[in-house]
Amino acid sequence: MKKDTSYKIKLGIFVSFGIALFIAGIYFIGEKQQLFRSTFHLSGVFRDVAGLQAGNNVRLSGINVGTVEDISIVSDSSIRVEILVDESIRKFIKKDAVASIGSEGLMGNKIIIINPGTGGKMEIENNDIVQTIQPINLDDILVSFKTTIDNTSNMTSYLSKITGNVQSGKGTIGRLLMDQSLAQNFDSSIVNLKHGSEGLRNLMDSAKSSFTQNFDSTFVNLKEGSAGFKILVDKAKKSWLLWGF
Amino acid sequence: MENTILQQSQDQHQEAEIIPENFSETISDSVFKRFFLEVSSLIFFTLRFFKEVFKPPYEFNELMKQSYLIGYKSLPLTGITAFIVGLVLTIESRPTLANFGAESWLPAMVAISIVREMGPAITALIFAGKVGSGIGAELASMNVTEQIDAMQVSGTNPFKYLVVTRVLSATLMLPLLVIFADVIGLFGSLVGVNLRGSVSTHLFFSQVFQSLVFKDLFPAVIKTFFFGFAIGVIGCYKGYNSNKGTEGVGKAANSAVVFASLMVFLIDMIAVQITSLFQN
Repeated sequence: MKKDTSYKIKLGIFVSFGIALFIAGIYFIGEKQQLFRSTFHLSGVFRDVAGLQAGNNVRLSGINVGTVEDISIVSDSSIRVEILVDESIRKFIKKDAVASIGSEGLMGNKIIIINPGTGGKMEIENNDIVQTIQPINLDDILVSFKTTIDNTSNMTSYLSKITGNVQSGKGTIGRLLMDQSLAQNFDSSIVNLKHGSEGLRNLMDSAKSSFTQNFDSTFVNLKEGSAGFKILVDKAKKSWLLWGF
Repeated sequence: MENTILQQSQDQHQEAEIIPENFSETISDSVFKRFFLEVSSLIFFTLRFFKEVFKPPYEFNELMKQSYLIGYKSLPLTGITAFIVGLVLTIESRPTLANFGAESWLPAMVAISIVREMGPAITALIFAGKVGSGIGAELASMNVTEQIDAMQVSGTNPFKYLVVTRVLSATLMLPLLVIFADVIGLFGSLVGVNLRGSVSTHLFFSQVFQSLVFKDLFPAVIKTFFFGFAIGVIGCYKGYNSNKGTEGVGKAANSAVVFASLMVFLIDMIAVQITSLFQN
């Protein structure tokens, strides 16, 4: 009889503990999905959700605060995303909050990132529609990157042609760099210029010396003339003809 | 009209001449025929279980005793196995994830593997090995020693007392064992993660529950009821219908394990298909 009770107790403990673990598992998984917390609804309309799925996380300042509840197509260019956010976070999200779609990592899941908005605004309300920023699509980046690569390819092919022309002496720069007669002409021009400048210098030197001599004698004459003029003026002052002036 | 019938009978006669004389004997001994006979017997056995399970009187005491023997007594074996599986899975997965610089994903990856597949499948196989063979051998030895016949003569319904209780116990106990195995396997993984790194228990379980969703947990637990049922039914069928003789006991135990293990994989494959159908 005692043995009967003993195994029943062990069985009872085993079953109870197993069921408790199962319930605890349900609770903890549900807790992470905000099932047992009070939540409020928000929604946003995107043009492209870039692979976002129901159940993905919603983050505010890097903290998981909710989950994506549902994604539905409204029209061919707008997709409505319903999100569930923890009620205790509501006071931090303002009316001008902006939602965007980000990624948990380079290969990670997509997430909704909520920018909480400016401090002075009113708190967001249940079932409000938040503004959205269109996500940067990896495909768009690749298309843009491809255009850049194509342009670079064209540029390098043109550059290759130009260098080919330069090397074969075509065009102004090609002749400048590759034509030896031009260099010789240039060299002889430089020599001529050198000679010309030397001649000019000599000319200038001789002109300078003759000019200073002439200038000097001009000043001497002017000085003598002004002295004669002074004497003449003094004599005139003493003459009776100019009394009264 | 008469000519047509005559022609047909001539054709049949010609065909009969082509077929060897001992054809019927060959087919009677063929593997296929035995296989299909086995399958049909198993189906009738299962239908009889469903007929008997709802019919009073209910053998609650025997059910509890079998649950104790099948469930509680299997816990140490399945627990140790699950711990080792969690530990080994973590250690083996680390280098691959480290190549991607994704070691922080280790708890999440191992948790999903254990909860979705490793926990249920490994536990069911261990369960098939221990319980399936145990039930098969026990019922076969009772059959050999004519205890089953004796019960029938004494007015007790041996099917209800022996088969229904064991199948029900196996069906109900395996899911509980799988839940224990999942938890113990996760602790094994925690040890594995901390062998080469330092992850706190809180962070580990936070990452585990972050990665798990109900879609991982519920299908995995529901399929274990089917695993347990299959193991119980096959074990009982093999034991109940064993050959008379001592070698019949060994044969029953052996074929119970083999067939039950095979059924576990078959059910697992079907469960995965159904689960993926609902998830997409």
